[in-house]
Amino acid sequence: MAEREAARAAPKRPARGVLYPRWLWPAFATPGMLWLALFFLLPLYVVLSIAFGTLDPVFRSPIPVWNPLNWDPSQFQFIFGHLIGDAGFFGPPMLRTFAYVIAASLVALVVGYPVAYFVARFAGRRRVLFLVLLLAPFCVSYMMRMLAWVNLLEVDGLVNHTLGIFGVTPVAWLSGQPITVVLGLVYGYIPYMILPLYAGLDRIDNSLLEAARDLGAGRFSTFRRVTLPMSRPAILTGLLIVSLPMFGDYFTNDLLSGSPRTSMLGNLINTAVSTPGEAAEGAAFVLLLFALLIPPMVYYARSTSRRSMVEA
Amino acid sequence: MTSEGSIDRMFSARWSRRRFIGRSLGAGVAIAGLGPLLEACAKATVANVNPFPLGSPQHPVLWPISKDNKPIASGLTPESNATLKIYNYPDYLDIPTAVTNFEKQYKQYNVTVEISTFNDINEALAKLRTGEVDFDLFVPSYDSIGKLVYGNFLLPLTHSYIPNISQVWAQFTNPFYDQQWRYTVPYTIYTTGIGWRSDKVSEDISLRTNPYDVFWDPIYSSKIAVLDDYREAITMVMLRNGITDILTGNAKTLNLVSTQLTDMISKTNPKVNITDYQDIPDGTTNVSQAWSGDMINAQYNMPAGQSPSVLRYWYPKNGKGAVNQDIFVILRAGKNPVLSHLWLNYMLDLKNAKSNAAFTGYQTPHNGIDPNTMVSDGTIPPNLASVVVLPQYFNEGYRELELSPAVDTAWHNVWQQFKAGG
Repeated sequence: MAEREAARAAPKRPARGVLYPRWLWPAFATPGMLWLALFFLLPLYVVLSIAFGTLDPVFRSPIPVWNPLNWDPSQFQFIFGHLIGDAGFFGPPMLRTFAYVIAASLVALVVGYPVAYFVARFAGRRRVLFLVLLLAPFCVSYMMRMLAWVNLLEVDGLVNHTLGIFGVTPVAWLSGQPITVVLGLVYGYIPYMILPLYAGLDRIDNSLLEAARDLGAGRFSTFRRVTLPMSRPAILTGLLIVSLPMFGDYFTNDLLSGSPRTSMLGNLINTAVSTPGEAAEGAAFVLLLFALLIPPMVYYARSTSRRSMVEA
Repeated sequence: MTSEGSIDRMFSARWSRRRFIGRSLGAGVAIAGLGPLLEACAKATVANVNPFPLGSPQHPVLWPISKDNKPIASGLTPESNATLKIYNYPDYLDIPTAVTNFEKQYKQYNVTVEISTFNDINEALAKLRTGEVDFDLFVPSYDSIGKLVYGNFLLPLTHSYIPNISQVWAQFTNPFYDQQWRYTVPYTIYTTGIGWRSDKVSEDISLRTNPYDVFWDPIYSSKIAVLDDYREAITMVMLRNGITDILTGNAKTLNLVSTQLTDMISKTNPKVNITDYQDIPDGTTNVSQAWSGDMINAQYNMPAGQSPSVLRYWYPKNGKGAVNQDIFVILRAGKNPVLSHLWLNYMLDLKNAKSNAAFTGYQTPHNGIDPNTMVSDGTIPPNLASVVVLPQYFNEGYRELELSPAVDTAWHNVWQQFKAGG
């Protein structure tokens, strides 16, 4: 009781907002919120209005319907009606997309993690040089990088010539091979995996690693019990950053395969939006993809927020 | 309260990982189950009636000229200090020669020609519809005329400026798709057949009973391609089956086409692209559905040191294959109608047309062009004489004319299924 009285009598800490009005700090978010409203929410509503809209009878171009009360769900009916069953021709490219993206993301992680680990832990004075090299692919357009691979992967290209030295018969890499598409995705997006991994690994406090070693953990055990768990948020970030654009990618597939057998969701969207009368269907695919990507986004947000709470 | 705390409350700890994944999977199943529900409240969006006539040789079309869109008067002076704006496909006009010579020919008017490009006709129409562009000339296919006339985009032609129309084949001086050539003049013509390299393919595909069968022959698996053009690919399947009504919306026919396209994927895993002019000569594909103009271009894409004499092209000798054309039109929004007419006349001159064709690879329907002259003047090697489009092809062949919206939608559905992997 006495303690409670003492607490009441103690001088109170100055409340926030004494020097600044309460709205000042939230106001810093205004430009970002406006940006989000203008360039995300508004376009998203346009996509919705097109997906649920109608067609121009002459040009067969989409006519957005802005009033949700008048929205026409026939595009979604068509897509969902063709997901499974005998007429389910949209099902295979959907599953294929998930399979390719998961495989490519995991390969990117397996290849990218050691690179990031090396740069963060062992590059020493050459760290800047390695970072510049990691960023170098961003200086060349994605299209040009993929076009370069088209030349390299041709039947009489450099890759087959090199493999030929080891007695491997020429491989038709560009003839609709799923592995070519997956490796193309890995190649295209792996810098986006390495950079967050590097940032995460670089932030791990060396004293924690030293403590683990002092407590008797070997190199592998230290990595398994300290480094790997502490780099989990970076792994999640990397996986998310590479997988999101992969889900909508169509260019890699078009260039390195071109076969219907490797079509992905991005290819369906691209075909639909460039076809008269099917832009609304393309918009519906975009929304479907958006809906499919919300769960991993939510998982990521939940995971990182929990980590922040623990760290706080 | 921190923002992290807010987020965490949103996804409170009651959501275990297992529960989260379970709910996500449940949502996925629910989404898949939405189909029947949405189907119940769905409504058709495609009009079944075409808003304008669909021209065909049996039903020629005389497009109307509206009162507020009359042809320009004869004998007007060309616009001075003008920039003539041409809206065209990429690499579909000989800029170094044709454009430069036109500017020289009318240098007293200080004309500059400016080329803008589009990748497909839908992109072009969308841009024209914005009303924000003032292109003078446009190069569409003839299956877009209806849209362009009814959209009020075209300027009717004044024939007195275009005497060179007399140089083209008779069927193009009063074509069925534009009777009295009120809005159009012909630009290029082409057939759709099969291209290959004789040193990569051990057989002569033209000797097959049905050469179209090659697209289902497993010996060419993963080394074959069809054009990334729904009209061309579906038409090819129809012709393979002896179906010559290549404008049909018959469900049974389209089902057959769909089944055979899916069968093609499983048998030969074809690539779907429009790089036949490059892939055939460099050996990326051994056999490809091909446009005749692309096969002319293919000779320039042969690997260093290899002769174009190995290139081959098949189109039915009796002319009963797919044959089509592109056209030139003058846009109403253009600022130089007189110069636009002079351009059309210039491009219809045989000398200029041949020079342009040597660059683009695509032939024009001029009286002075035949296989012998094209071979003798070196435009094409003798082994590619079959790429030359003959006048009778436009009588015997099958044209991919404009489809009604409902039929077009049905065709697109077939194509979509194919592109999705069958």
